[in-house]
Amino acid sequence: MMGELIFRNLFHRPIRTLIGVIAIAVEVALVVLIVGLTSGLLTETAKRIEGVGADVMLQPPGAGFILGLGSAPMPIKIGEKIKELKYVEAVAPTLLQTNSSGGLEVVYGIDKASFRAVSGGFVFLAGHDFSGPDDILVDDWAAKAKHLKVGDTYNLFNHDWKLAGIVEHGKGSRVFLPIETLQDLTGQRDKTSIFWIRCTRPEHTEDVMAELRALVPGYTVRPIKDLLSTYTSTNIPGLEIFVDAMIALAVAIGLLVIFLTMYTTVIERTRDIGVLKSLGANPPFIVRALLMESALLCLGGIVAGIGLSYGVRAAFLAGFPTLSILITPGWIVRAGLIALVGTIIGASYPAWVASKKDAVEALTFD
Amino acid sequence: MDFAATIPAPQVGPESAAGQGLNERSVEPILKTENLWKLYHAGKVEVPALRGVNFSVAPGESVAVMGPSGCGKSSLLYVIGGLAQASRGKVLVDGNDLTEMRDSERTKLRRSKIGFVFQKFNLLPTLTAKGNIAIAQYIHGDGFDPHRFDVVTKMLGLDGRLGHKPSEMSGGEQQRVAIARAIINEPKILLADEPTGNLDTKNSEIVLEMLRQLNKDLGQTVVMITHNPEATVYFDRVVHMRDGVIVDGIPAD
Repeated sequence: MMGELIFRNLFHRPIRTLIGVIAIAVEVALVVLIVGLTSGLLTETAKRIEGVGADVMLQPPGAGFILGLGSAPMPIKIGEKIKELKYVEAVAPTLLQTNSSGGLEVVYGIDKASFRAVSGGFVFLAGHDFSGPDDILVDDWAAKAKHLKVGDTYNLFNHDWKLAGIVEHGKGSRVFLPIETLQDLTGQRDKTSIFWIRCTRPEHTEDVMAELRALVPGYTVRPIKDLLSTYTSTNIPGLEIFVDAMIALAVAIGLLVIFLTMYTTVIERTRDIGVLKSLGANPPFIVRALLMESALLCLGGIVAGIGLSYGVRAAFLAGFPTLSILITPGWIVRAGLIALVGTIIGASYPAWVASKKDAVEALTFD
Repeated sequence: MDFAATIPAPQVGPESAAGQGLNERSVEPILKTENLWKLYHAGKVEVPALRGVNFSVAPGESVAVMGPSGCGKSSLLYVIGGLAQASRGKVLVDGNDLTEMRDSERTKLRRSKIGFVFQKFNLLPTLTAKGNIAIAQYIHGDGFDPHRFDVVTKMLGLDGRLGHKPSEMSGGEQQRVAIARAIINEPKILLADEPTGNLDTKNSEIVLEMLRQLNKDLGQTVVMITHNPEATVYFDRVVHMRDGVIVDGIPAD
């Protein structure tokens, strides 16, 4: 009976119910997408770095783990010393350059032979490897996003490049240039931003790291296998606060809309509340009825929000293929719970007001 | 319409009580007020709605309360129904003193012993007739009793209209649904606040006849407030109120 009352009440004012559902859906979608976008980008970036195939990365002193943010390069000659270390199989220098034109991306300037030695080489989907100083390689996602095909001219860093090949994604960057050309363009001759180091066996990673610390004291040495766990919003200054603020904003939107929806509902149903009281309904009954109605509305919003999240993600990825939005069951559940708690909080005051209404005043309300 | 054939009458029946004043009975009143006062506050001013009402109703009796607007009839109904708290005095319903009860206790008593019928029907607009009646059973706590439901709805001629919402029913039908809702849990007292006030003559007669038959055939105690002198002929006793007090209590005939 309670179910019928709640269900029919929800459909009594379909537009109001729809607005409530939309508000919750937007709240859920905002939470899912904001978290999905940040974690998706970070996870995808970390996976691409792992995809380089190195066991250790060496960076200049004080370098952060977000590649491309620091610009202090190191002498490329260090690579020769690293090669001589016991348990080092291959070393690949990479000059990183951030391109902010049409989005933010970190471009890799690589030496094709050493990069192949560390990474096992690219999988070419079209075209071929660098054959000239102005050749450029892009991965399939970048090619799709930038509408590029082999042979096209692509302007980057005020330089025209010829697209030599399209490679499978997952090897560090989406755009690769010959390191020498990039060094010349950026005035960093014989410099590199990072060394990718492949050990003879993964078990030797710790040994190699110890040797590197001894060889170049003060430089930043990181094992790649831990990188995925490092690439989280909690490790990026301000990002977690930003994400939390966005979630709070989304929750506030949902909470306020539910509050207003249920408050107007209570005012509209003042006489009905009086009738229920005349029948012997106690305050917990009235509170329960309103909270359950809000919760049902919220569930509708959660389902719509999940659909909206996937819809928005599909639309974004169609427009921006290089974006990565990671929608996980864990965050869907969390977003749903956040919305439900917000809804219950938002509906609590109107429900309390309803339960405290004077029965006689309610019955004579017009 | 033979109500007695469909629902067994309670032990204290109309044979022993209806048509007689309480002072002529030996039974304990089902409803009694003693020096009952109800004060409302308009800002800092106290406005007395009831000023020392003494009033008794025997089990199975039907009583019409008449009086001009503002004389305190509705306030009396709300106080004896436990919807409003008395300011002073006593209200005894089936031996329970409402004035000593907390709001939650009065709610519980109302749920089990009182049925209300209002002038404006006061049906829940989102529910069907069936839902409006069944929700009273649900709130009562015993769950849906299909047998009792069938008996009451047939008795009030509602079968065939149960799937309709209030907005799809005439005033007379809505008031019959309201009566069904009021009696579905077999309350000790049925309180009706001008139940014919929004009805035409024909439907008023139908509703009044139903209330009389509930009283005569089932021994249902009924207290009804009315402006309509013609309605009083359906009741055992008529009580007149003026300025918050009862001014007489005479047999209707």
